[in-house]
Amino acid sequence: MTQQPKVGLRDFSMLIALVLIATYFWWANAAFLSARNLSQLSIELSATAVLSLGMLLIILPGHIDLSVGSGLGLAGGLAAVLIVQHGFSAPLALLVTTLATVAIYAAMGWIIVREKIPAFIITLGGLLVFKGVHWLVIQNKTIPVVEGSGSNLYSILTTEYVPPVMSLVAAAIIAGLLGASTWQNLRQRKARGFEVDAEESFLRWFLSSQIMLLFVLVMNQYRGVPLSALVLGATAFVVHIISQHLRLGRYLYAIGGNDEAAKVSGIPTGKAVICAFAIIGVIVAISGFLQTAFAGASTTTTGSLMELDAIAACVIGGTSLKGGRGDVVGVLFGALIMSTLLNGMTLLALSPEMKFIARGVVLALAVWMDIRLSRSAARA
Amino acid sequence: MTTAPSQPNKSATSADGSEYVLEARNLIKRFGPVTALRGVDFNLRPGEIHSLCGENGAGKSTLIKTLSGVYPHGSYEGQIVMRGVVQEFTQIKEAEAAGLGVIHQELALVPEMTVAENLFLGHEPLRFSIAGTGLVDHDRMYTEAHKLLEQFKLNIPAQALVGSLGIGQRQLVEIAKALRKESRVLILDEPSAALTEQEVEVLLRIVRDLRAKGVSCIYISHKLDEVFAISDRITILRDGATITTLDAKQTSREEVIAQMVGRELGDLFPRKRSKVGEVVLDVAKLSVADKDTDSDTKPRLADISFQLRQGEVLGIGGLMGAGRSELLMHLFGMEGRRLQGNVSLSGQPLATSPGACIEQGLVLVTEDRKRFGLVLEQTVGFNLSLSSLKALSPTGFVNKDDEARANDKYMQSMRIKARNQETVVGTLSGGNQQKVVLGKALMTNPKVVLLDEPTRGIDVGAKREIYELINQLTDDKVAVVLVSSELPELMGMSDRIMMLAEGRVGGTFEGDNITQEALLAAAMGQNHSEQPPGSPKNSTAASAALEDS
Repeated sequence: MTQQPKVGLRDFSMLIALVLIATYFWWANAAFLSARNLSQLSIELSATAVLSLGMLLIILPGHIDLSVGSGLGLAGGLAAVLIVQHGFSAPLALLVTTLATVAIYAAMGWIIVREKIPAFIITLGGLLVFKGVHWLVIQNKTIPVVEGSGSNLYSILTTEYVPPVMSLVAAAIIAGLLGASTWQNLRQRKARGFEVDAEESFLRWFLSSQIMLLFVLVMNQYRGVPLSALVLGATAFVVHIISQHLRLGRYLYAIGGNDEAAKVSGIPTGKAVICAFAIIGVIVAISGFLQTAFAGASTTTTGSLMELDAIAACVIGGTSLKGGRGDVVGVLFGALIMSTLLNGMTLLALSPEMKFIARGVVLALAVWMDIRLSRSAARA
Repeated sequence: MTTAPSQPNKSATSADGSEYVLEARNLIKRFGPVTALRGVDFNLRPGEIHSLCGENGAGKSTLIKTLSGVYPHGSYEGQIVMRGVVQEFTQIKEAEAAGLGVIHQELALVPEMTVAENLFLGHEPLRFSIAGTGLVDHDRMYTEAHKLLEQFKLNIPAQALVGSLGIGQRQLVEIAKALRKESRVLILDEPSAALTEQEVEVLLRIVRDLRAKGVSCIYISHKLDEVFAISDRITILRDGATITTLDAKQTSREEVIAQMVGRELGDLFPRKRSKVGEVVLDVAKLSVADKDTDSDTKPRLADISFQLRQGEVLGIGGLMGAGRSELLMHLFGMEGRRLQGNVSLSGQPLATSPGACIEQGLVLVTEDRKRFGLVLEQTVGFNLSLSSLKALSPTGFVNKDDEARANDKYMQSMRIKARNQETVVGTLSGGNQQKVVLGKALMTNPKVVLLDEPTRGIDVGAKREIYELINQLTDDKVAVVLVSSELPELMGMSDRIMMLAEGRVGGTFEGDNITQEALLAAAMGQNHSEQPPGSPKNSTAASAALEDS
């Protein structure tokens, strides 16, 4: 159900953190805010954010998926092998891989529901198994996403850009559609006798349109909006629809909020959870393609530890690990913070040791802040 | 060993000659713009049992929390006075130190530990103790726990795991735990909500014993039977103000209720019989065992048969553990493994999953609304439509217009007091939460409604509204099964009553046959001829604790 609570400290805390992080990196290296680096950042963000959005659908009903990191490594590797070693066309390879991950993840969901084994355990097993299978599939080698110096649907995911003019037109259209839907939503809420804050809604729309416009303008200074950012946008839209407008979304919130009450309410809780796992199968495939294409090839480390980035992004974005609370915008913010950190640290040429430590500290801080803020909210 | 206080208060005299052990003088407590207490005066004499009555939201809990230091000094106006000395508690511990103990209705016991371990949790007797740490002296702990249980004549073994006890016995353990502390004033907040009638007797006896020892008690209960059985005086709160304090011997239930609601309530139970139609629910020779048990274990429910007709209310009673909730949960496809028997709804075999049962027209309102009824952090609207989403989203997309309309309809017909559909359900009062659970069930357009303790923990006004609703349902040809542990409610609202005893039908009653004595006898399995030989009578979990009462 769409909830629009008044803007609170929570909403701002993420923004403040992001601004602080960005300011620091900018101060340390002015190239951080260059159009080129921001374009790079938006490509890096895509894979993490797409994965985090999938994770949201798993955490909402109170589950967790630790296998997505190695799962996406496997998906990227499988598609690459199909293309390079078995002569599949790129679209066919991506399709076959996607169907395979959906089947695998739906099966994991089925085991979790049917045998009542905690998702933590099953997906931990998945983490190890998928990693092993991934290495088997690529024979511990580096498999490029395209043969030679050519390009295909797989490789262009992170190398192609939408032409500047088209990006601007598209941004204008989307802003228009957003405005129309905001207005429609306001009218309907009024008709239903709900509380309406026209000013706030307008402000929300205005701000998001401005941010989108700014994004397009900055991207256009380099080569245009990266194709992968479009993939992210489309994924975010679909996950938003699933979570806020589909029956399935309601079910996931209800299961996470109170599993037993959901059962007594007649909700097919098992089916809903299996559905969520099938969906994350698609997401794992997409983020696997993005991540592998970004590196140009599948290697034994592709996707390593990305499950933790995804979980961190969800938690930073206000998703409750107990389930029942979280939304798309928050998760996008969380993913942006995680990606910004990684990008900035790479730009500063920090050692991998420091990167690990910083990611860990940020995750712990985010959870601590989440608990503190929700406690003070409960007290108020 | 610390036990309940044994020395009576020396006299009623105190610093300023006040005769009261505890006094609230013109207490005012505000939460933001809401005034919860608007000048409450209340006093407690030494060695008296003083009941506090009022509807939910009248301010009872706020008063108790203010008195016991949950709301610290400075957050309220007015004075709290104990024996003539003004008290300024800043935390609960200070109130406890001043001799003021509170028994809350929530259970705070560890199920994996024994009764004795729970009783002494955090205060374990030690041996070889240095600076407060040492080895737990188990011998002494069990001896003292045994003594404590003995003292209150609770027949609960000290070494039993709390998890193995029934909920009523757990409540008694909780009370014993609180009595370990030396309190001169004991506040019991709805202590009997989960107790059977016999367990309530045990509780009341304990409270009377305490009074004899000079302890003053504030007793809060929705059950007026208990209030009248035990009280010396009764104070009535309404809308955050003291309405009156009555001498229990010189007042009546009708007067108390009238003062509580501020208006005359005609009949407490407004059941009007509806025209009875065809059989909708047919349960034949049903036997059910717990899930995940061997086939030769004792069935939880055995050989249960009954029929339910359109427009009829079938009451189901029985002691705690008799299988009332289990029966409803099993019919609804939630619990248990069917050994034999058939259940059919309008001639069709009844489905075995909640979702399918709802589609067939049978819906359950469970007794524990927080656990099974509501997604508390979500809105009223989210919860109301939760069981009807299939109908509201034929394509998979939730039609939010239809949903808002349906929610509105039930918010109005159930008279749910909330700002709008987007109010978070956890912020509503118990009665309104219960109406949301009922509204959710009724939105599915059921033919049969199973109600498990629909009025537990809600106030008189809301109870009455739920009774009216039952009448309205049966007028609309809906059949109702009403499970209740309150005999007056069962007798007042049912057209027929089936008593369960140890998972079997102890007897079915109709019309003039319905008397409290007959129902109780049936609940205890006393007139059940098919009792298997050798099975001890009266040995339900509930009565195990009561054998020497």
